[in-house]
Amino acid sequence: MANTVKSSPSKRLISKIIILVVVLVIGAIAAAQFWQLRHFKEEVVVSDALTDVKWFSDYVPSLKGTWLDTPVFFFDSGVEGGTVFINGGPHPYEPASTMAAYLMMENIEVTKGKVIICPRSNYSGSTEGMLGDAYPMYFHVESEWGTSKFRIGDRYTHPLDQWPDPFVYVNYPSGQSQAYQDIRNLNRTYPGREDGTPTERAAYAVLEIIRQENVDLAIDMHEAEILYPVTSTYVAPATVLDREHFEETGEMVYVEPERNSLDVAMMAGMNLSGQFLMKSEASPSSLHGLSHREWADWSDAMTILMETPEIFIDKITGPRTEALMTEGKDEFLQKVTDAGLTYFPYDMEFGTPMWYRTGRHLTGALETLTWASMFYPDIAVEATWPTFLEMQELENQGIDSVGYFLKNPDDPANADNVYVIYKEPVGENMLKWSE
Amino acid sequence: MSTTMLTLILLIVMLIAFILSSIKLKSPDISMVVAAVVLAIAGVIAVPELGSPIRYLVEGLFVNLDLAMLFIAASIFVNIYAYSGALSTVTRGIVSKVGNKWVLMSILGILMLLPGAITGAGSISIFVLGGLVDIVLTHLGVNQKKRTVFIFFFAILSAAAPPINLWTMLMCAQANMPYVGFTWLLLIPIIIAGAVCIVYVGWGAKPESKEAILAQLPEKTEGMTWWRILLPVVVIAALFVLAVYAPWNLPVLGLPLMFVISAIVALLCNPKKTTVKDYGEILDNTMEQVFPLVANVLSIGVLQSAMAATGVRGLLGSTFLGLPLILIYCLIVIVGPIMQGCFNYGVSVVLGGPLIFMFNTFGMDVTVICAALSLIFPMGDGLPPSRITGRLACEETKYKGSYTGFLKSALLPMLVLGVIAVIMIVTPATFDFLY
Repeated sequence: MANTVKSSPSKRLISKIIILVVVLVIGAIAAAQFWQLRHFKEEVVVSDALTDVKWFSDYVPSLKGTWLDTPVFFFDSGVEGGTVFINGGPHPYEPASTMAAYLMMENIEVTKGKVIICPRSNYSGSTEGMLGDAYPMYFHVESEWGTSKFRIGDRYTHPLDQWPDPFVYVNYPSGQSQAYQDIRNLNRTYPGREDGTPTERAAYAVLEIIRQENVDLAIDMHEAEILYPVTSTYVAPATVLDREHFEETGEMVYVEPERNSLDVAMMAGMNLSGQFLMKSEASPSSLHGLSHREWADWSDAMTILMETPEIFIDKITGPRTEALMTEGKDEFLQKVTDAGLTYFPYDMEFGTPMWYRTGRHLTGALETLTWASMFYPDIAVEATWPTFLEMQELENQGIDSVGYFLKNPDDPANADNVYVIYKEPVGENMLKWSE
Repeated sequence: MSTTMLTLILLIVMLIAFILSSIKLKSPDISMVVAAVVLAIAGVIAVPELGSPIRYLVEGLFVNLDLAMLFIAASIFVNIYAYSGALSTVTRGIVSKVGNKWVLMSILGILMLLPGAITGAGSISIFVLGGLVDIVLTHLGVNQKKRTVFIFFFAILSAAAPPINLWTMLMCAQANMPYVGFTWLLLIPIIIAGAVCIVYVGWGAKPESKEAILAQLPEKTEGMTWWRILLPVVVIAALFVLAVYAPWNLPVLGLPLMFVISAIVALLCNPKKTTVKDYGEILDNTMEQVFPLVANVLSIGVLQSAMAATGVRGLLGSTFLGLPLILIYCLIVIVGPIMQGCFNYGVSVVLGGPLIFMFNTFGMDVTVICAALSLIFPMGDGLPPSRITGRLACEETKYKGSYTGFLKSALLPMLVLGVIAVIMIVTPATFDFLY
């Protein structure tokens, strides 16, 4: 009896120690994966057309050294023309946005005007996963020369960089109440505040780029669930805020813009109908914090947001594998599409593959450049990069078109062009091979 | 094998693991983690491409971390406030000033709505006022089961009440709707359902005389004054008001820190001679009290992650959305709460968002529908596996009877709330005058 009494507590102690050790081991394995994701550095072989690299911290100095700082690449033809700003990765869990930005950066040629590309505008958000949504950490792209690896991040700024959330988020300066976590959503915090939260500072940096670099056309690349009405769509404002009136009275009154980006979007959308479905929608003046509304309201640029269909965001998918992210073939989404509930003609035989979404962004952006130049020749920009049709052609031949247009960062021939994308310069001037 | 069949098998495996574990371990929280781990392992066996589940299971722990911290901080505040004698003094004050049973119950109901309305978490209402309400209802002659119903139902109403309804917020965030116009849409049904609950609970209860009630209540704490009672409450109310109306003039504190600040004020207002050891004991007891709830919300996050990763979440969501509209109308009041029991606030994203998009397709008023869904989902906080609010209400009144019996008792007021919400969903245009 005495033995039993003595052994029970010791057995319990041993059980507790075992549980503790198991928990610590699991925690350590997960922590190592979190650390790797946080510090994983992507490499881009940037085109020879590159003329300058700046950082968000050049526009908002308090961002320097933080995880919200991020590089911005300038491609200036030297020929007088307009300036276009292309925003990639505002929501890192929409990876075709950054992928399109990288393909532009690697292959761009500019013959008129200037192109500015930010591939990861919420760098912090790209360093963690979507909590509770079981996103894969990375996706891979096959090329002739090997495999490239890219991060899939979160919709929001990493809580390690901005925490806690308030119980309700109030957008500046509209005063509009929004969901609490949107305080970490870059595309809800525009126009931002120079001394605000880290996300608001990053938003302010984007606006400063648009204002200081005299951007004429600003394009924001996103992905959307196919259950969402605005998927596969250009969103652009038909009216913009009368800033003078607002500054004098505090009242938000909307007026016709000098240059109408909705006209540009509608023409681009119509012209693309032979390649893929691209609707056009007017940006509501009643919803604040989004790029297509605030960029136009707080700068002189025309603004257009592009959405591609991305079923991972739909939540109601089957097993969430990397293949689901890169191929987008899902039985459940087919079922709800058949029930007439989706806003995209989804066919699971084809899915929504990465090349398709990336190609849509590439051609979608090019088409707006074309139509903006036709409507407003004084701000014309002429640039080229891979197109949807070129990628489709390669895919028809069984070639991974995304990988086809990626260059090998380990090839010494590319040594002068391999840039490491991180929150701060890695090596001298971010160049992988400079050391 | 089709994805539907595969995920159905995984769902069955998960349910078996949960049931067996619940029988063996008698703990819903540990059972949820066991079910999540079993599901994740089964998922990897069935779909090896999912890879190691360790990262996303650990990620799941962080899904509700903020909520867990809020529970801890709010409990610390309440326990220090209660220890100071403030709550018992308030109870005596209310009982001595208000003689009418119905008026007294109405005051208790309104008081219970406040903490949840401003935090978005009904559990906070129970933490803050559950004890006081239980005491007063006991003396009003309300039996234990109905006291539990009253506390539970007003807690879920408080979570749904404006200004902070987390379900509405999350659906707005997903559907790109501003979080505005919901005050009366939420409040009117809450007032009606609350009134029904008061009548239902108070019907037939025979109150003791005021003197008898006062004789059984704790004596007024020596040195307790109205300013000592009010100051901690005023501080937290002021912090709330500042966070909403001056959000750009002070840093984001977050709800947990707000409660900790108020707890410090409550400590300073405590008229009793209290040693550091006494406060240590209060904190110790608080952690004992709140630990099951913390374990619960953390566990549900882990299960949520596993269900997302393996496609079980997709199976549930797509199956419901694929039903004929008439069945959706009939079943939403059952399926909504059940999925709330599984996914907690995640139900807004898994089910709420897609439903909003679906009704939008039919041209229906989605603001009204969003409010209606936000009235339905909170009822699931009484359902397994999480049953957070239901469990807390039982703990508060020390109800040891059958949990199913308690749920049956709560059916009438829940039915009233559910019917109102379904009418709002079916004929939303009728209610558009409320915003």
